[in-house]
Amino acid sequence: MSGTGASVVPARPAPHVRGAVSAPELIWSAALCLLPASAWGILVFGTPAAFVLLASIGSALVCEALTALLRREFTLLDGSAFLTGLMVGCLLPPGAPIHVAAVASGFAIVVVKQTFGGLGRNWMNPALAGVVFARLSWSEAFAVPVSTRWSGPGLAPLDALAAALPGPGSGGRGALETLAAAGYPVSAADGRVVGWLNARLAPLGVALPPGAFDLLAGIRPGGIGEIAVLLLIAGGVFLAARRVIRWQLPAVHLATFALLAWVFGGLGAGRGFFAGDAVFHLLAGSLLLVSFFMATDPVTSPLTPAGTIAYGIGLGAATFLLRFYGSMPDGAPLAVILMNCTVPLIDRYAKPVRLAAPRGGAR
Amino acid sequence: MTQAKSFPRGGVYPPDTSALSRLEPLTNAAVPPRAIISMRQHAGPPAECIVRPGDGVREGMMIGRAQGPRSAHVHSSIPGRVVEIMEETVAGGERCQAVAIEMGGEFDRSGRAGEEREWQALSRFALLGKIQSAGVVDLGGTFQPAHLALASPPGGAVGVLIANGVESDPSLSCMSALLREKAREIVTGLRIARKLLAPSRVVLVVGEADGHLVPGFERAVDEAGEEIEITVVSSKYPQGDAEQLAATLLGGRRAGQGTRRSVSATVGHAEDRHVVVLAVGTLLAVHEAVALDKPLIERVVTVSGSIVRHPRNLKARIGTRIEELFDECGGLSAPAGAIVLGGLMMGRAVDSPNASLTKTVSGVIALSAKEARVPRERPCIGCGRCIDACPWGLVPTRLYKLAAHGRCDAALAEGLAACSECGCCAFACPSRIPLADGLGRMKGACGAAGKIAEATA
Repeated sequence: MSGTGASVVPARPAPHVRGAVSAPELIWSAALCLLPASAWGILVFGTPAAFVLLASIGSALVCEALTALLRREFTLLDGSAFLTGLMVGCLLPPGAPIHVAAVASGFAIVVVKQTFGGLGRNWMNPALAGVVFARLSWSEAFAVPVSTRWSGPGLAPLDALAAALPGPGSGGRGALETLAAAGYPVSAADGRVVGWLNARLAPLGVALPPGAFDLLAGIRPGGIGEIAVLLLIAGGVFLAARRVIRWQLPAVHLATFALLAWVFGGLGAGRGFFAGDAVFHLLAGSLLLVSFFMATDPVTSPLTPAGTIAYGIGLGAATFLLRFYGSMPDGAPLAVILMNCTVPLIDRYAKPVRLAAPRGGAR
Repeated sequence: MTQAKSFPRGGVYPPDTSALSRLEPLTNAAVPPRAIISMRQHAGPPAECIVRPGDGVREGMMIGRAQGPRSAHVHSSIPGRVVEIMEETVAGGERCQAVAIEMGGEFDRSGRAGEEREWQALSRFALLGKIQSAGVVDLGGTFQPAHLALASPPGGAVGVLIANGVESDPSLSCMSALLREKAREIVTGLRIARKLLAPSRVVLVVGEADGHLVPGFERAVDEAGEEIEITVVSSKYPQGDAEQLAATLLGGRRAGQGTRRSVSATVGHAEDRHVVVLAVGTLLAVHEAVALDKPLIERVVTVSGSIVRHPRNLKARIGTRIEELFDECGGLSAPAGAIVLGGLMMGRAVDSPNASLTKTVSGVIALSAKEARVPRERPCIGCGRCIDACPWGLVPTRLYKLAAHGRCDAALAEGLAACSECGCCAFACPSRIPLADGLGRMKGACGAAGKIAEATA
């Protein structure tokens, strides 16, 4: 005999070869794609932002380690606790007290995720639930005016979003003009870039509002990880291209929201239909962060592509309604939590088309 | 070149290791000095052992008689003497008899040029009788007796006869060896099948990697004066599955449309007529049974794996020990972590190289200790990859959860019976959940409870 060895092999199920991508790789790659936007937040808001992120991530890791220990498990390496902590920090404003960040993460991990049985069992996105919990518990922490490295203090992020909404007082102006009138700060770079562009665009009769450059470049008050819109889009496109997330979800979510914001968004300002500022609302608030990174959480989103499309439409509509007519500004986080409740129902009906008829008997 | 055709949905691309053995010539394995021949080498109940210890047997003599219509005869693969009737455990933990034969005496068949007998004039009844008494089973995966598939189906003519030359698994290359070296015999097998079934179309299908074998095969077809379409299909897995192959060529049908008679390898309907899929290995066996009066006592098997010194395709006697097959291929370069009978996607792991070759084993693959490591299972994160991968359009993660709760009726209502245990779901699962295995067990449990028969009646 030639070295076959008399090894005792335990019963092992087929297949004897497995695909390349593993769950921890999926989770860590999502975290990796969110890191550039978080780093930009630290750059723009300074050390307080770094402390918030450290507190939220640290709290998430400690809470995960302790609760998993109760089940005699060690789950930190799967990356899900780190990702939840990072997401919580990204959604919080840079001025948030450390304990708020820690409690938001702790709530996310302990109450929303672990009480339902840990990874894969929760029905609501833990990070969003943690942040909404914190917002309801410490609303004043979210009402602190924020200044960036390049622009002075103006409004608190969420107040700014509320102020930009079309209301009777907005006098038919666009969102950014309304904000400027409310004393929203713009950076010096914005003044120069928008001024330069407007000089070139003048013959065409088009003018960019002040703050347009800041919005795109990610220089504005807001959640730590939500302002770097270009980095968020790049991260989301990367995740979709690598099939970590289903591309249909952010695509349908954002398209539905933009369509509704464009068609109906101008009504409140008395500008009639098809006059909403869809571009502003796509880039403002936490929408892109939430759409690319939280709504796509596989655990709390539908299973099939068809279900994902239905979910995306519902999510877009819910985001529009909550942002334009809800009492809490932004709308995106709450919309996802709301739509999370519909996932079991969507999964029940959005099934793939089955091929062929059943086989007879044993094979 | 245009994109090769594939089945309508799902499928995966497991690592293609067939190149290890693909270009090696088909080699005759040494005749084993002792053969252990199982009485269960087919889909139905085990054959009844009709020899006793001490009995002398000739090469090709029947030693097991089929029990019931879905069972097949078993023959001695070597001449000699029966030394023992053993009890052995087969897949699924079922006990069954096996006959141990020590070689001795004279070979009636090997080494003699096969004189082809005239079969054209034989009646359908005589042809089917020869195939049945030779113990030929469908080697394409169903392992039902082949004469069932070749008997004209009840209530209708055969629309399409498909000769399946597509590798059943990307770690195997036995189809390739057959197509390359047994083209003439396969064409004869196809002519016999054509005579029996009188199909309106005959199509030979080969995988992309074997596209270069098409001209050689066309020559064999021309020499025989036959008309056979040849189609090349994709290398996506499970392209070699009979039903997926039929769906590839003829278009898939949605579940619930029309009915299907489940007669062994008969699958699907094309324009309301039967489609019969036969593996090229089965056609070779049909040729040998009819033209050479030779029972199914040897088969082509891929012996491969990263630790096999010279992976190749062997024509080996039924009953040869796995270890002897490895020795034939230069032995193993490292201790095996696991030995898989069949392909890596659907094959069964055995715990010792003492297992012996049966009609149902298309490949023997030795995995290194590292390759054999069972990956850590993690919780389902609901990513839906198993659904995207399932060629049958099922929701494996949901069925797996239903299986865990023993909910047979609910699982069958969601299509459990359509699962072929192809393994695509488990392959795609990033949490390494053994989905296919769980669904297979559930099918077994529901089948034992008579629920599957009820649901498909």
